[in-house]
Amino acid sequence: MRSFLRSREALVGMLFVALLVVTGLFNPNFFKPESIVEIFNASLTLVLITLGEMFVILTRGIDVSVGAVAGLAAVVLGTTLNLGWPLGLAVAAALATGMLAGAVNAVGITLLRVPPIIMTLGTLGIYRGLMRVITGGSWIENLPQNIKEPNLWNLLGIPFFVWVGLALLALTMVLTLRVRVARYFYAVGDNEDGAYLLGLPVRWTQFAAYTLAGLFAAFAAVVFTSQIGFVSMNAADGFELKAIAANVLGGVSLTGGVGTPLGAAIGALFLTAVHSMLIFLGVPGIWDNAFAGAILLAVVYVDYRVRTALELQQRQARIRGDLSGGEPS
Amino acid sequence: MFSGVPVLKGIDFTLRHGEVHALLGGNGSGKSTTMKIISGAYPLDAGQLFLEGEPIHLDSPRSAHERGIYMVPQEPHVFPHLSVLENLGMGLPFAAAELRRRALPLLEEMGFDVQLEEQSAFLSIAQQQLLEIVRGLLRNARVLIFDEPTSALTFREANHLFERMRRLTEQGIGIVFISHRLGEVMDIADRISVLRDGRFVLSEARANLTPHDLVRAMLPPDAVTGKEEAKREPRASRSDRPVLEVENLSSEAFSDVSFSLHPGEVLGLAGLVGSGRTELCEAIVGLDPHASGSVRLAGRQLPHRTPSLCQRHGLVYVPEDRHAHGIFLGLPSLYTISASVLDRLGRWLLNERRELELGDRFVRNLNIKLNSLRQPAGTLSGGNQQKVVLAKALAVAPRIVILDEPTRGIDASARQDVYRLIRRLTDEGVGVLLISSELEEIVNLSDRVLVMRHGRVVQELTGEAIRLDRITEASFGLAPGGESS
Amino acid sequence: MNLFRFLRSWEFFLVVLLVVEIAVLGLINPVFFNAENLLYATLDFTHILFAALPLTLVIITAGIDISGVSIMGLASITLGLAWVAGINIFVALAIALLVGILAGAFNGFFVAKTDVNPLVITLGTLFMFAGLAQGMPALLDKLGFKAYGSAGLAAYQYEGITGLPDEFIALTEGTVGIVPYPLIAVLAFTVLLSLLLHKTRFGRSLYLIGVNPKAAEYSGVPIRKILVWAYVLSGFGAALAGTMLTSYFTSARADLGGDALLPIITAVVLGGADILGGSGTVWGTLLAGLILGFLRQGLLALGVTSDLIQVVVGALLIGAMATKQLVHVFGEYRLNRKALFRRNGR
Repeated sequence: MRSFLRSREALVGMLFVALLVVTGLFNPNFFKPESIVEIFNASLTLVLITLGEMFVILTRGIDVSVGAVAGLAAVVLGTTLNLGWPLGLAVAAALATGMLAGAVNAVGITLLRVPPIIMTLGTLGIYRGLMRVITGGSWIENLPQNIKEPNLWNLLGIPFFVWVGLALLALTMVLTLRVRVARYFYAVGDNEDGAYLLGLPVRWTQFAAYTLAGLFAAFAAVVFTSQIGFVSMNAADGFELKAIAANVLGGVSLTGGVGTPLGAAIGALFLTAVHSMLIFLGVPGIWDNAFAGAILLAVVYVDYRVRTALELQQRQARIRGDLSGGEPS
Repeated sequence: MFSGVPVLKGIDFTLRHGEVHALLGGNGSGKSTTMKIISGAYPLDAGQLFLEGEPIHLDSPRSAHERGIYMVPQEPHVFPHLSVLENLGMGLPFAAAELRRRALPLLEEMGFDVQLEEQSAFLSIAQQQLLEIVRGLLRNARVLIFDEPTSALTFREANHLFERMRRLTEQGIGIVFISHRLGEVMDIADRISVLRDGRFVLSEARANLTPHDLVRAMLPPDAVTGKEEAKREPRASRSDRPVLEVENLSSEAFSDVSFSLHPGEVLGLAGLVGSGRTELCEAIVGLDPHASGSVRLAGRQLPHRTPSLCQRHGLVYVPEDRHAHGIFLGLPSLYTISASVLDRLGRWLLNERRELELGDRFVRNLNIKLNSLRQPAGTLSGGNQQKVVLAKALAVAPRIVILDEPTRGIDASARQDVYRLIRRLTDEGVGVLLISSELEEIVNLSDRVLVMRHGRVVQELTGEAIRLDRITEASFGLAPGGESS
Repeated sequence: MNLFRFLRSWEFFLVVLLVVEIAVLGLINPVFFNAENLLYATLDFTHILFAALPLTLVIITAGIDISGVSIMGLASITLGLAWVAGINIFVALAIALLVGILAGAFNGFFVAKTDVNPLVITLGTLFMFAGLAQGMPALLDKLGFKAYGSAGLAAYQYEGITGLPDEFIALTEGTVGIVPYPLIAVLAFTVLLSLLLHKTRFGRSLYLIGVNPKAAEYSGVPIRKILVWAYVLSGFGAALAGTMLTSYFTSARADLGGDALLPIITAVVLGGADILGGSGTVWGTLLAGLILGFLRQGLLALGVTSDLIQVVVGALLIGAMATKQLVHVFGEYRLNRKALFRRNGR
């Protein structure tokens, strides 16, 4: 319990709650349960994309194409629906698209040894372009009702998709914390050479990471298509950068091997909430980006200070260990 | 073969069931490379591997593990953000409970007292090494390779390891034991093979060998005389003012260190791994912002030191790990040589001609073997790389040179070149602070010796007192004449 | 560099590629064989070059700067606001460039003083600078300044700050002979940066830091100072790009950067710089930028939609990197086999 309290997740979580409280004090309208639920609902897309990105970052990689993958998956979803495909099949097609797009990244990075940032920057362009090529540039509108319906379902006043999101989050938490094979993500990110020499399947792990990122991006695509009701060519534009920021905010270090899905999700919640909170505080939405950037910078700076202090501690512990361990008996 | 440079030139090696086969050789002789091939980390360029008489092909460490071959590496591979338990079990098919059951007895045997849930980043080097050893023991492979396992272990821990190794051999497991410590090898091995320069020069049952045979096998024929040449007459006059004075220097890894260095003097710094010598030198040149105490160069106090400030005052540090801290591998060798003196190569623009002259001068003086100064430093041999790093330090025209393990990983003739260089430097009045784990080097080269232990200077030896046994005793904290290794 | 080495270099490969590209485009549509047209076409992408050239320096140090696109917008809007406030347009230009320098310095100090990944830092500043650029007009307007220019808020939201003076617009309209001013500026910038990179202590230090930052520190290289200046130059380049676009489009907007990030980084990487640091030249970046720019113009002129062009550029980036990798691996393989046979033949 104590280690949780000292963790990044707890810190950002508490910061989040603190900001909610401050906003609410400033503007009591904020405290209505609908507003809070609305924040969760609005953040779903980013949370899902962030979770997918988390796997990649855990392995010390990076994927700047996840927004484009989400857009592409949404285009596939919209197009197939309008072609008359049954809902289940259309969603499956969208998810498959996401996985395929992620797998393409994976192949380039693990087999062709293209650096992740370059590979995903390239596929970012390719996928965004493909979106327009498929639709001819126009938005996909007039989607059948069946895709928009789930958005209206409610259980205990909480929207259907929020439940789905929570379920996925719980699933990912269990996966990464308990399933042995999932720990490979952490090992590969923490020390790739060591992982290789211990016989871990490094390439397969990296492959899985990028494919999962694509899959989660596709999940997000299904959610926002249902929520918004149409697919625009700017769908999920810039979400990859927000996802990276959310991960870093939530404690998933870009150097790999550190972080949890809970942290990533809280980071994403935080970033989305900034928008709503600013509105309630009377600050025009145009300042969103400025605040998001400033918060990110502030968090990483504080993290840097905390980390260097911790490393000093570790070094001292190591020296002491050396000193006591080196005693001849 | 690496980038066209042959590292192993035709190796035949046999390991029998239940045998402890020791592999000896200087650095760069190829012993690590051979074992990395056997354990699947490197691919073969030519030749064959046979396991129990069957030819096998290994393309990854995993395929080696599947066949029961496991190497315990010299440099521990730790996942700093994972717990000790997870580190131990990574790559093994056991669930946590089963892992705990198997690991705890092994940990106890090795005297490894640690919390399994603790983050591995907090482990000391010695503890990390123990972790690697337990990883190997957990695997009960048919072939276990130990690469320099005792370099950070105490007597007790090393003995525990040997006991365990004996027990493993009783089960028919073959063990390869790489080391450069003759005493250990003579203790534990059944067979000993010596590698030099990529080839085996000796392979015999231990019973038929003496330590002298081993030493002779490891050095090329002309080096034996070289050793005498390196032995020096102690410098008599120390009436000059000291060129470096260190007073009460303290930091995490060492405390209250004081000494002075005189021009033309070689001050040897001896001690075990972890005694704080490298950290001390880093603090002297200003790489440690948390150090307290004072450093004076030629009488002048330098409170806020940085490497470049020290360089300007004539103090250079040649670091221990040249790959990490000394050399720019992908860039032309010339760039490494000139890296410290860029400000002297022209006012606004770099004078290429002057730079080339500088490079040529050092290639000649230090006998650096290369095709062209534009050649990437990574294509040079270990010895030549070290010379390039030395050239970089000397380009500053220093008055004090701190050499941290200057002959690690280089061949014997380059080693002689370095000794000659040290001689020349002191003849010119340069003060040399020499850190080395090769005690022979310390004994042969130093005018005075300081022995460090647990971060403190515990002994100062001069003249006749500079002897292997005295230094070793002091390193381990034993009274003179007490139990020695 | 002697002739033989040049012929085997990546830069030479790029020159050949450029020539081939122009030839192919010209064969399809003879419009391209007209030098004046060709040079005029560069106006559409010189802004990419302004940003990419100094970015090369940053990437050589094994860093990265993705905030350039936001700095472009910030510089542009600063220019516009300063002018609306009544400041002389050229002084406003200077102020805009200064803003770019300050933004770059902010990046540089953060990178130099903390060990935080430059990607994360410039990601944060990407958001922050964009937000600043977007919010400033609104804030000033609230405070009573007529920030939206003569046309008012509605027009601003659609077109940005317009009505800029002719002397300023002329900066991107004029030519020396058939060479447009911006292109001359880019060439001068390239020459300057190349000199800096290959002939000064600063430039050499960039390579040293990129290859082995620890060794650079131990060798006495003033790492912090050098890094700050590298990012300052990158910010300055982005500001140049932003103000150039402002003149070219005759309007100052906060979102000028748009999706220039991909082409900018593609130009640097295609130009031969290793994303992991330690190598690269500004001439390579220039050539690669020209290749990409003409490719885009050419495809557009052929009727290819700009979406498809994005796909092509993305594929080109990946293809170039994969090829580089394969060539390197193949080279190692050949070296080893040669040495192996040499030994066995003895």
